[in-house]
Amino acid sequence: MCVWPGKKVLYWRLTPTFGTTNNSEARNGRCEPKAHGARRMVLSAEFDHVSSSSKPTNEAWNLSRSEARKRADTYQRYHIETATTEDAWGIPRRFNVKVGKFGLAKLIFTEFFRYFGHWETVFSRPCTYGVFSGPVGGFSPRPDLCVGCLRCEVQHPDFVTVTPNGELRALGDKYLTFHHIYTIDQEAKMGTVPVRGQGYRGRFGGPGFDGMFTDMSEIVRPSRDGIHGRELIGTAVDIGAKPMHLEFDGEGNITNSPSTFNIQVPFIFDAPSTTLESDAVARIYAEAAEQVDTLAILPAKSIERLGLAGPNVVPIVTCSGCSVGPGTRMVELANWNLETYSHFKDQGYTVGVRLEMAGEWLSSLLEMQDCGVTVFHLLADHHGRSGDGRFLIETLKEAHMALVEKGVRDEVTLLGSGGIAGADNLPKGIISGLDAVGLDHVLLVAIQARLSGDMQNRDAVTVQLPKNLDPVWAVQRLVNLSCSWRDQMLEILGAMGVREVRRLRGEFGRSMMCNELEAEAFGDIEGFPGGGQ
Amino acid sequence: MAFSPGEVKFPTKKLFEKTTHLMQDGMNARAFGDFPKPEALGDARWTDDLILATWFMAETGEIPENFNYMTGDSDGGFDRLRFKFLEEENWLAHGEHLDTRLNLNRRDDGRHQLTPDLPIYGGGMSYGSVSVNVMMSRARNSKKWNSYMSTGEGGYPEELYQYKENIITQVATGYFGVEERSIKASPIIEFKYAQGAKPGLGGHLLAAKSGGEVAKLRGSVPFVSLFSPFPFHSTYSVEDHMKHIDWVQTINPEALIAVKVSTPHDVDMVAVGSYYAGAHIIHLDGSYGGTGAAPEIAKKNIAMPIELAIPKVHKFLIKEGVRENVTLIASGGVRTADDVAKVIALGADGVVFGTSDLVAMGCTRCANCEGGPSGRGCPWGLTTTDIELQEWVQPDWGEKRLDNFYIAVQWRLRDIMRKLGLSHISELRGRTDLLRYVEGSEQ
Repeated sequence: MCVWPGKKVLYWRLTPTFGTTNNSEARNGRCEPKAHGARRMVLSAEFDHVSSSSKPTNEAWNLSRSEARKRADTYQRYHIETATTEDAWGIPRRFNVKVGKFGLAKLIFTEFFRYFGHWETVFSRPCTYGVFSGPVGGFSPRPDLCVGCLRCEVQHPDFVTVTPNGELRALGDKYLTFHHIYTIDQEAKMGTVPVRGQGYRGRFGGPGFDGMFTDMSEIVRPSRDGIHGRELIGTAVDIGAKPMHLEFDGEGNITNSPSTFNIQVPFIFDAPSTTLESDAVARIYAEAAEQVDTLAILPAKSIERLGLAGPNVVPIVTCSGCSVGPGTRMVELANWNLETYSHFKDQGYTVGVRLEMAGEWLSSLLEMQDCGVTVFHLLADHHGRSGDGRFLIETLKEAHMALVEKGVRDEVTLLGSGGIAGADNLPKGIISGLDAVGLDHVLLVAIQARLSGDMQNRDAVTVQLPKNLDPVWAVQRLVNLSCSWRDQMLEILGAMGVREVRRLRGEFGRSMMCNELEAEAFGDIEGFPGGGQ
Repeated sequence: MAFSPGEVKFPTKKLFEKTTHLMQDGMNARAFGDFPKPEALGDARWTDDLILATWFMAETGEIPENFNYMTGDSDGGFDRLRFKFLEEENWLAHGEHLDTRLNLNRRDDGRHQLTPDLPIYGGGMSYGSVSVNVMMSRARNSKKWNSYMSTGEGGYPEELYQYKENIITQVATGYFGVEERSIKASPIIEFKYAQGAKPGLGGHLLAAKSGGEVAKLRGSVPFVSLFSPFPFHSTYSVEDHMKHIDWVQTINPEALIAVKVSTPHDVDMVAVGSYYAGAHIIHLDGSYGGTGAAPEIAKKNIAMPIELAIPKVHKFLIKEGVRENVTLIASGGVRTADDVAKVIALGADGVVFGTSDLVAMGCTRCANCEGGPSGRGCPWGLTTTDIELQEWVQPDWGEKRLDNFYIAVQWRLRDIMRKLGLSHISELRGRTDLLRYVEGSEQ
């Protein structure tokens, strides 16, 4: 796997992380970020003495021009620190290589005489990847190194066979395929954008997210700076409610400032399946979320028991009696309950509600919005399907448009989990209407958990974690995956000429649906469904 | 960190003989069916049958009987389209009277009148992404077919000047290797705005493949990654694009102008804008096209497949009343003679071949063009400038393989034409009424 330049692409962090939150306790210092967050708090603190009504001038900050310049030069761009993390247990190799020993011996014998004296020629091997470079060459091939170029099998069809490894192909299911699992593993190992030669190899269009293409522009790029213009693309998203318009008091002060906080990537870590009760995994998610500056959504009981509370951890609460630890910015209700909602809302928390997309979910969403809920976490099954079998693209669009229709879209944050299997699903989920995308199964794959059983239904999958799971290793795997997926997001945004991911939300015009394009292109061709002569 | 080329040396004569003999014999053994199809060969776009059929055609110049040489297994696009052939008694005779030539200049502006023998020319593959030997093979074959091949964005190696009448100089966003000398030498100048496999992302030659000669031609130092930005930093409008064209036309007033773009939603508008800016050839590169290196997320996910873009552009050019003044070329997933005919039936005038040329010379589409774990590039000697590996493809052999492949492609194109009752390939353009869409067991 090779490094694509986007790996080190960053953007200016100009927004104080907690500067716009309405959480009074957070403002009062209940947020005690750990190592990574501390750097952000310094910036935040620097802005604290500037009143919200002051103009953001150097004078207001008591800075000379040179000091201001110096300060500006110390701003840090958002950056995810990656490090190569080898597999804890090896993912099955891609190919098996078999060499007929008799055939090989015969070849060497023949060539010994044909090329006598030219030993380099006699012992040359048809592999540049080292499959036959072990101590006894082809007599003991090293299939782990095989990339499937097939030169050996073509050159020596009588005694070399390269076959796809069935063990690898058995991983996953029809949705989260072995291709996804292999790619996620590489991304979590390297933290880079997978780059390969040759073109696309799969089916034309396809179901689910495969049926959506993202748009691009031939001449527009997000900025005139940098090599590709993607260096300054923002991936931060706001969680919470923004007013649809500003209101002022008699003295001109804003009375309804946004009640949001932001995270630096448009994805969050959703709680693992309830079939996996692992304290280690909870710790890993929480730590990785903090390092990446996103959110880890975990059961409140686990958070309390393990002492994981903090600004990057979101407890799932079931009742108003649930305890929420220090530093918490947001909670999620496992189920809608007005009393529980009010309890946490009144304490100043951003309160989200987990909502399975089944039954009358959309009406419920709108009713809850009427009650003041500002964050909804929509849950599809792990194949991205709602209760009535529809895919995320359709259901998310429905939710987004219902809120637009109601004129409250910016007052609501839509999160969505289920059915995310690859990096391309991120922009497609956001185009479909999400503010941020929830990652679930892919996180387990990244830490090399083996998933089996019913992988579609929530809370039915069987999860086998690697033996002796090293938390430091696992955190780095999730950080690597986050970096890789963020960078891939930047590629898509760069191609579109979109400068920040927030502008992509619900931008259906930035996508093309394969079935619609086919109807347009093939509609007059005989035999095309719904068209033709 | 600079890439270290390691211990690689020019192959000895004996090693060259042994390796090329084994590789070429092995390809033939597979293509002639002496051994079973390799289990790990092929994918949905390029099935094992398509690859082996292409090897067979490249070896013999004939159509194979035992492989499906017409369609892949991608379950859409070209693979779901078939021709509505006439009853056999109405078929035309097969022969040279069936005209497959392509007119590249429809502007009647006194510039070169270029008519390759096939509605095909060679797509850009830069020096660096492929070796000089591969470029020479393609250049020689282009000369034989009165056709053209694009340099890609990597400069114009000195060896190619002997075939300058058949070489297209590509001007892309990094301007690598673009010189007034090469612009003056070329009958066609191609502006590459984007590439189908990685639209909107620019180019990237990995350090491992940017060896001494490659770097020199690109005006760089060896073994440093070279980025071609996206898009042209001087082009933000059709007016800017027109100034670009004006620049090369000042240097070479006779040259035709080709504009290569990918396939976004508004590709039809882009095409018309390019035409009005002065393009003779509008070249659409679809999202299923080849690449020497591209982020996996870009392939397929950004922009649309070529099958879906062609009718859109063709119809819009007609609506604008300029269709007869411009040549529409398509690429990006065009694999076979049948695909070529389908492209034309959907509304284009011709196609650009890229991956097909490489498959004809032995590519198995293993996707390690960018260097792979070895860092040396293609083990078949195609997409590499490694001093040993590139020797496995010699221009004489490569030229012959391509020539045979094109002979077979022309035969099949004529076969399709005669079964449709058409005597000139241009009569097929936009004839979607001669296509049918198949589903399920019909595929």
